[in-house]
Amino acid sequence: MKTKRIITLLLLLCLVITSMPLTAPTALAEDDDEWYTYTYSYWKEETASPNAYSVTNTLYGMDIDPEIGNLNNPKGLFCIGNLLFICDTGNNRIIEAYKDEEDGLYKLSRIIYQVNVSTTVADAMQYGGKVDNTLFQPTDIFVKPMTEELRRSYGDYLGDPYIYPGDDSATEQGGDAEPTPTEEPKEDAADETETGDSGESGDGGESGEGGEATPTPTPVPQQGPKKDNVVRKQLDNEMYDLFIADKEHKRVIHCDYNLNVINVVKNPVDDTLPKNYEFKPNKIVADNALRVYAQADGINSGLMEFDQKGEFTGYVGASKVVVSLARKIWRKLQTRAQRNRSTQFVPTEYNNLSLDSKGFIYATISAVDEQDLWAGTATPIRKLNAMGSDILIRNGNSFPIGDLAWSSKLPSVRGASKFTDVIAFENETYACLDMTRGKIFVYDFQGNLLYAFGGIGFTRGRFSQAIAMDNLDEETILVLDTTRGTITEFSMTRYGKMINEALQLYKTGYYDESAKVWNEILQFNGNFELAYVGIGRALLRQEQYKEAMGYFESAHDIENYSKAFQKYREEVVEKYIFYAILALVALIFIPKIIRKIIKVRREIKEA
Amino acid sequence: MKKFLSAIAGFFHGESWANYKKTLRYAFYVILHPFDGFWDLTHEKRGSLAAANTITILAVLTHLWDRRFANFMVNNTRWSEFSIWMNTLGILVPLLIWVTANWCVTTLMDGKGRFLQIYMGTAYAFTPYVIIGLPMILLSNVVTKEEGVFYTYFNIFALVWSGFLILCAVLMIHDYSLLKGLVAIIISIVGMAVIMFVVLLFFSLLSDAVMYFVSLYKEILFRMG
Repeated sequence: MKTKRIITLLLLLCLVITSMPLTAPTALAEDDDEWYTYTYSYWKEETASPNAYSVTNTLYGMDIDPEIGNLNNPKGLFCIGNLLFICDTGNNRIIEAYKDEEDGLYKLSRIIYQVNVSTTVADAMQYGGKVDNTLFQPTDIFVKPMTEELRRSYGDYLGDPYIYPGDDSATEQGGDAEPTPTEEPKEDAADETETGDSGESGDGGESGEGGEATPTPTPVPQQGPKKDNVVRKQLDNEMYDLFIADKEHKRVIHCDYNLNVINVVKNPVDDTLPKNYEFKPNKIVADNALRVYAQADGINSGLMEFDQKGEFTGYVGASKVVVSLARKIWRKLQTRAQRNRSTQFVPTEYNNLSLDSKGFIYATISAVDEQDLWAGTATPIRKLNAMGSDILIRNGNSFPIGDLAWSSKLPSVRGASKFTDVIAFENETYACLDMTRGKIFVYDFQGNLLYAFGGIGFTRGRFSQAIAMDNLDEETILVLDTTRGTITEFSMTRYGKMINEALQLYKTGYYDESAKVWNEILQFNGNFELAYVGIGRALLRQEQYKEAMGYFESAHDIENYSKAFQKYREEVVEKYIFYAILALVALIFIPKIIRKIIKVRREIKEA
Repeated sequence: MKKFLSAIAGFFHGESWANYKKTLRYAFYVILHPFDGFWDLTHEKRGSLAAANTITILAVLTHLWDRRFANFMVNNTRWSEFSIWMNTLGILVPLLIWVTANWCVTTLMDGKGRFLQIYMGTAYAFTPYVIIGLPMILLSNVVTKEEGVFYTYFNIFALVWSGFLILCAVLMIHDYSLLKGLVAIIISIVGMAVIMFVVLLFFSLLSDAVMYFVSLYKEILFRMG
């Protein structure tokens, strides 16, 4: 009897245990495809957002024109008007394409392998002992619209074309195939003979003054495009000047649109630079005063600034090194070997820069310490004024540092965001390209994240190594993927346009209109905290304080809530102050009166 | 029914209710005269456990109400993560561990106080937190962000006051000198850490042991089936 009971009990127990789930619920897979576009909430959580940009095109070199073939490790991208310049670094060329407004397709305009050298600039174009007009791994191009006035300030640069010693075509080929980037520049040695040659045999070719008005014969004979509309485009763009970062030739070439060299920036001389310093410009911009700012290899004191003549004038945006106390102590505790192995405390090195319409430089820094990012002391994006100080506004819930959470373990999200490019739009929003995750983060002028999108992957709108981007117009972003050699075109959706519209309306003072647009945006995305703030601000202007408080509370905007609350409190106090005083007076006097009455009565009684 | 009501009425007129009121009112005397107050609290039996419990419950309620009703400008509560039980236990469990650790330490250090006396003293020390914290919740709802510093500073003041009262309680209940009291408090805090460590270790080992038998069972099931 007893054994039977024990057995049944055991069986029951087995039944109960087997009915329990043996495997734990599977952990949620780290899924990148969950949200394509997102923003961060007040609690720094990713919240899904409608797409602000959608992929409208993905271009290989072949898609633009079969003549281009594949891009090889392209590094730079620049857009102006409807023109698009791609620095095909690995192929030592720059591809100029344009977007045809009629059919919306990208078409080849020309391929730039070399520039035209006149005798006046032949000296400056010396490389490796001879005049070299080819490009060698160009990493960036900047195109600047020129006025007659500015052009005149350079004087006459269109001298007689420089004739190469020996066969023309032979030197060209030699230049293309030049394989040694480490070759020492020994300009001085061969200088005299070269110039002597050029002086003797200087005739023929292009005419001097007509360079701007009449298009010179295309400098690249074999790649010259024949289509009519392409020629028209070139004529339209006569007044564009090209600044080319000819990296491995260690110079920045400034030439006009017909590739006649105007000026060359090279060999900066300064006490701060080491004796054997090799100037290797990566990224360049030129401002309205025709100063050239260059981000060059091995320079960690800021961006290099060159004046109009190409003379090195100093650094811009040098950042101070701040070492925290904890780090100092930790460093004291480390052994010498450990100390050598750990990262050095050097000032940050910029890795890209771009110019906004007002002439401010937006620069990115990818070599930032992750702990500094956590602490909020790192500034991976900077907006530099003429003094070189950072004037970027960082009023958002979190600083513009890209993704707010990262880990070193998960395969798809490795480390913090590393910005490689930044573009500033007309309305002072700016987009930053994160190389680690192939994402684009767009911030407004206050530093609030508007939306982030993109990612690493093989589907449309994802990248393997996004390196550069530029905006064709205010609503089109082009992103260059260097390993795949593709250009991805993003076009703004209705949602993105509405955000821009609302921001613009608010900035220009149309608060009520902006509130209407923010309301519409909320229909698309109820999680968008900025919209609540926008509506709240409009309500604040309309003196609807109570309602404004509600919106600010939804967005966790304490500053504005406090303002609205102060006004609301004033309103309430004004409304009830009369009754409050009345009640106070009553409280003080009524007992006194009653006491008096009682006293009088008693006196009467007694009397 | 009538009997029940009269029983309640009897309670409120009885001696225990009067004693309760008296001991609760004594908290005000304690916080203003901490040395006298804590001495008499245990030695003259002027405090009661009922009053101590009341103050503890009020302190927990103050904390909860502060999280719930303080204005959002000074109140960064994330409601999706908020748990009323975790917040309650967040006060009660440290209190229990503190009293235990302090009792353990002071027993070895010739302390005069008993377990419940330490509890009573600590609970009475919470009084400033309650009497300042509750009005501050109301105040936070009528001030702007700039004026909100009053809320912050008064709350900090209340906590400092309470902390000072706990020190006084330890000194008086155990009849310690200041130095000895401070040492006792430091050792008690270390003791709290040790207790938490041991408890965590215990549960960790327990769950490991359970997991061992569960996996053993699974293995048997696997071999058999």
